[in-house]
Amino acid sequence: MDWGRLKLNPKITNAVKKASVRSAKEILSLSGPDLQRLTHLSKGDVHLLHSAVAAEYRKARPVTALELSLGEWPSLEPGHRLSFACPVLDDFLRGGLPLNGITELAGESAAGKTQFGLQLCLSVQYPQDHGGLGTGAVYICTEDSFPIKRLRQLITQQSRLRPHVPPALIHSLRFSDNIYIEHTADLEALQTCVSQRVPLLLERGLVRLVVVDSVAALFRSEFQADEAIERARHLLAFSRNLHCLSHTYGAPVLCINQVSDLVDSPNPGRCDYGLVGSKVLPALGLAWANQVLVRLMLRRQERCLRVGGQTSTVRSLEVVFAPHLPRTSCLCGVWEEGVKGVPREGLREKPPCPI
Amino acid sequence: MQRTVSSSPLAPSVKVKLINAGFHTAADLVDLLPLQLCQEAGISQEEANEVLQALRHDSRLCQERAAEGCITALELLHCEQSQGSLVTFSSELDAVLGGGVSVGKTTEICGTPGIGKTQLCIQLAVDVQIPVCFGGLGGKAVYIDTEGGFLVQRAAEMARAAAEHCALLAEDTEQRAALEDFTLEKILSNIFLIRCHDYVELLAETYLLPNLLQKCAEVKLVVIDSIAFPFRHDFEDFSQRTRLLNSLAQQLNQLANQQQTAVVLTNQMTTKVSNGQSKLVPALGESWGHAATEKLILHWEEDKSVGVAKAAYHVSRTRATPPLSGSGRGKSSKRSPALPPCLVFCRSSSRKADGWPLSTSLPGKWKPLSNTKLRVKDSGMPV
Repeated sequence: MDWGRLKLNPKITNAVKKASVRSAKEILSLSGPDLQRLTHLSKGDVHLLHSAVAAEYRKARPVTALELSLGEWPSLEPGHRLSFACPVLDDFLRGGLPLNGITELAGESAAGKTQFGLQLCLSVQYPQDHGGLGTGAVYICTEDSFPIKRLRQLITQQSRLRPHVPPALIHSLRFSDNIYIEHTADLEALQTCVSQRVPLLLERGLVRLVVVDSVAALFRSEFQADEAIERARHLLAFSRNLHCLSHTYGAPVLCINQVSDLVDSPNPGRCDYGLVGSKVLPALGLAWANQVLVRLMLRRQERCLRVGGQTSTVRSLEVVFAPHLPRTSCLCGVWEEGVKGVPREGLREKPPCPI
Repeated sequence: MQRTVSSSPLAPSVKVKLINAGFHTAADLVDLLPLQLCQEAGISQEEANEVLQALRHDSRLCQERAAEGCITALELLHCEQSQGSLVTFSSELDAVLGGGVSVGKTTEICGTPGIGKTQLCIQLAVDVQIPVCFGGLGGKAVYIDTEGGFLVQRAAEMARAAAEHCALLAEDTEQRAALEDFTLEKILSNIFLIRCHDYVELLAETYLLPNLLQKCAEVKLVVIDSIAFPFRHDFEDFSQRTRLLNSLAQQLNQLANQQQTAVVLTNQMTTKVSNGQSKLVPALGESWGHAATEKLILHWEEDKSVGVAKAAYHVSRTRATPPLSGSGRGKSSKRSPALPPCLVFCRSSSRKADGWPLSTSLPGKWKPLSNTKLRVKDSGMPV
């Protein structure tokens, strides 16, 4: 605590030093009467002390929403988002993935969540004019091993996915070199990864996207049903790390989540986020839901779609909640070149197809 | 009414010495010289000077206050009634709240993720700026964001819709003149955003708010979205958390009262298990439950997403559902799906006796729906 910068009466600073109150955090955490008791200062002096320390601790002055909309504070409002490389999906999500905060993608198995993660890892490497961030991604696998074959297939098909990007640019990007893969087999390894290794990569500017696939696996397997409080504590610590990283480095975080079945009748103690008539809910409960900024849900549908010789089962991508998006849904399919949204007009009914 | 030494704003050790020396009220010290006080009480010259100055200043204030007289309950009622409230643009929600969000009091909004707390807060930050001739407060807003949910794109949509809505309503020249100051740019420039990343930053901002509000007297709304987020992140010492929250609650209540601003707080929900039954309750514990003057709890209802409200104290009341409908206003031909409605749960301060209006009717301006729903529009105007 740099007392010289505070412009306080030396009597106040001496009293505080004598009471061994050293940091701004301690001063701000103590109430007026507590500080009076410790430092033997009067009420007015303690008030001055609080105001001076608070003014010093404050990181930035209040900004107006107009300044944010004009792009004058890129750290608070970057003005652009991470594109999904598909115009339909980008339009649906009003630009793409937000750069600050945790975005969650939940869905049943084989819904296509990992495909989204892989596509974003490639899309982040494009320069900002093409919707990327010009740097790499870190992919944290907690359940299966990383689908390296599929990544290679996606890389070779990039020019097919993005016909509007000059091929020279696509060829110049060394996609595999910029994706850092971490396998974490247990919770401790995950915490170490997120608190030590990922910040190092972010600080060196090597990555800006963090994908966790999946966040539910380790938390569900390592805690029993009655250890809910312990699980919530670990979840909160984990999400706190992710939040810090996201806000400090402006790094979008995508967490892939599993779903759990609804087996009993409507329960007043369970929150269903307004997903009426749904048989599944995103896993990890309310504790995790409170940490998430944007929640998306991916569902497989019965019908198929055939485009240009390829067939894919149609999925619906639904916004469960987001501060800037209405509750809409969009259809998409998984193709050889990646995930692409389907404009509603282009959908023709087809019978269910085998996988 | 004499000021006693023990209640005066002096340092505790000085107070102890004065009381030990036999000085109990300001009257005992009134004719004393500093040097005499030094010798009798055993304090230093500087402290003696301070004591005499403080007590004289205090006694002058006491006399002034005694001259003014105390304020009667009737005067207080007139004062509150003349203040106006902050409309939310949902006539149901306004009816349940008694005219809107009260100015001079703290209001807490609790709900599960995705129910619309941040949307309501941004809407209030726009609504507080509605010119007085349209029935609004014509003030500015301070928005303290701890979660990162304030996206300026959304605020701009709401601001544009509010300006258009008022433009449609303008009837006379005074209102049309006021509209010139109620444009998108102006509305955005009157919302001050402060982003806090942890609880210490939030505490620091709360200490700086009184100064900010004094410098900028037009601020009529302070929103803290959300207050639960920084305090639930891995706080080991729960007793310290309770102490901090209590002192925060006191400061905010004092701020609301003295500066005559509306303070709106957002809280999360948590699951509480009792007797094998689990239910959703507001987070931050029991003692925080008493912090705010008014409390709104928003729930989803399972099968038809119909909002229900029940009063905190009167469980037998009829259920009311304030509707906040949302549809794409002025948008493309595609009808954007509405956000499922929510329940509103209201507890108010004692000024609402027992005529708690919990009827449900649909909002006047928009088309009546078959059952009351709470949806958030693209334009952000709750209906």
